[in-house]
Amino acid sequence: MFSYYLRQSLISLKRNPILSLLMVMAIALGIAAAMTTITVNYLMSADPIPSKSDRLFYVQLDSWSADEPFLEPNQPPDQLTWRDATELMRAAKAERQSAMATSMMVIEPDVAQQKPFSASVRLAYSDFFPMFNVPFQYGQGWHSDADQSRQLVVVLSHDMNERLFGGENSVGQSLRMGGRLFQIVGVMQPWQPRPRFFDVTTGAFADMNDVYVPFLLKEALTLPNGGNNNCWKPLPDATFQAYLNSECISNQFWVELSDQQAVADYQRFLDNYVTEQKKLGRFPRPLNNHLSDVMSWMEKQQVVSDDAQIMMYMALMFLLVCLLNTVALLLAKFLGKTPEIALRRALGANRRQLMQQHVLETACIGIAGGVLGLVLTWLGLLGVERLYQGNLKDLTQLDLPLLGMGMLLALVAAILAGLYPTWRACAIAPAGQLKTQ
Amino acid sequence: MLVMQQLTKKFRTDDVETHALRDFNLNVNEGDFIAVTGPSGSGKTTFLTIAGLLEDFDSGSYQLDGESVQGLNDKALSRLRNEKIGFIFQSFNLIADLNLFDNVDLPLRYRGFNAAERKRRIEQSLELVGLQHRLKHLPTQLSGGQQQRVAIARALAGEPRFLLADEPTGNLDSQMAQSVMALLEQINQRGTTIVMVTHDSELAKRASRNLVIRDGRASEQVVNQRAVSQFASA
Repeated sequence: MFSYYLRQSLISLKRNPILSLLMVMAIALGIAAAMTTITVNYLMSADPIPSKSDRLFYVQLDSWSADEPFLEPNQPPDQLTWRDATELMRAAKAERQSAMATSMMVIEPDVAQQKPFSASVRLAYSDFFPMFNVPFQYGQGWHSDADQSRQLVVVLSHDMNERLFGGENSVGQSLRMGGRLFQIVGVMQPWQPRPRFFDVTTGAFADMNDVYVPFLLKEALTLPNGGNNNCWKPLPDATFQAYLNSECISNQFWVELSDQQAVADYQRFLDNYVTEQKKLGRFPRPLNNHLSDVMSWMEKQQVVSDDAQIMMYMALMFLLVCLLNTVALLLAKFLGKTPEIALRRALGANRRQLMQQHVLETACIGIAGGVLGLVLTWLGLLGVERLYQGNLKDLTQLDLPLLGMGMLLALVAAILAGLYPTWRACAIAPAGQLKTQ
Repeated sequence: MLVMQQLTKKFRTDDVETHALRDFNLNVNEGDFIAVTGPSGSGKTTFLTIAGLLEDFDSGSYQLDGESVQGLNDKALSRLRNEKIGFIFQSFNLIADLNLFDNVDLPLRYRGFNAAERKRRIEQSLELVGLQHRLKHLPTQLSGGQQQRVAIARALAGEPRFLLADEPTGNLDSQMAQSVMALLEQINQRGTTIVMVTHDSELAKRASRNLVIRDGRASEQVVNQRAVSQFASA
């Protein structure tokens, strides 16, 4: 009977094309509004590294002023000082650890046709690559020896390798950056975790860096800050070394800890470290050191903004309004069909069979509304991307699960909207209808 | 075959109670052709819808083909209606956007026949009413008399034992009415029991039994020798 019901549903929809189109449009608009905001929220709140997000921890030490917290209520700073970052690296108490910072360097390509250009640099330790599952196209990350010996080695992003070497294997070649020759040891595959969890301080959805070099080169080459820098204490002088020794924060710090015991041990280590530092006159605030796993850190940093969530709730309310309109339109349509329903009853259809037929009809409306709604969602996401001028790039893409979710939402919404009209129409007394024909 | 005893049906509005049928008794035998007449509002259509299991009754008993219909659920009533009863309506009640084949197919779909069996029955019943060559036509492409013939074909396709007709010639001119009546007589002669509500006394005279309903009660007039019912008025 399914194919029969389906054919009858399509005939019924063709019978009142404008009414059918209105219902499809109502569902499509509701689905488009809901799916546009759900997509942005879903991609914003996605786990960027699901295989180990519960084993990676962001480190916060409360090195801020005694007079006021870094952020209310009593939040420690979101970055570390150079001194603390390098001390924690020296202690090496975690399974893997990496301090990070960002900078800018001028790249001078060997090719005469290419002019020098400024590239974004991520300073990190060798653990950065295995810790964050960085995929390599050629070569690999540098060896840990290069960290301490401050070797001039570099890992290129996929895009940078495309730009400089046309995508060829450039491992082993030299690259002039900041007036010095760096040896290329690795080229990444395209890698764009969303959100860019390992550094949300410069924007959770900002572009990835162009090149990656050892962290301590910041000191060796006196590289400028490329990201956020916050200070609560004036610098004693304007030298670079004074800045590195200051209480200014501009470095991120991640550790990989395999279990709860390791987390507890590392927390104890941090507290002990800060207690020792207090004896040196630093860390004037009470102990307030945090270890946050990836998803907790995303939440703390409000990667999914309140605005996006409010927009999603408003869009869901709009979907509800669209569904109420669909209920009214379906009610008008199905009550207009009561003579036919009465006739089918007279010819032997039971109420359940007629309910099935009409539920299938609403499902057809839902599917049509879903398809149109997803097209509108795609347009809506393009609009959002334009509105934010590319800052939400990659957050405005419908993937297969989202497409499936959109269709399912449309189908369920349409069937729910159709339940009452279907019940009303199928509950009519056939005798009364047949008499009035 | 169809036995109604002491049947009562009341319609209630806020402050008015109307007896549509009261102490209604009827015994229809196999092969009967009963014409039901009576003034407007006398209860003819109510009787027909109760007989067709489209409406419930308040008291009394009703047996269809030896089976009491009282207390049957919607599914069982629908099955009985589908298997044993065929309906013919004054306004034909064809679905405008289904062709003749699909209109006649309606009761067969709910019967669960396979495609080959449905096709055989549809073609056979349309042939009986002389419209086998217009399977793919829409109802609007037919005259009123032809539309009623399609409705008769639809009623017959499931080979029901009863045909319930509500003013089947009411919307037709006299020539078409005669033609449809002749078709019903032919169907009756093939063994199908027919109960027909009509206002036309001339057509009523052609039935084997004449039932007159007044104020919800039935009385019978024997109109020819084919009358065989054991009628008992309350």
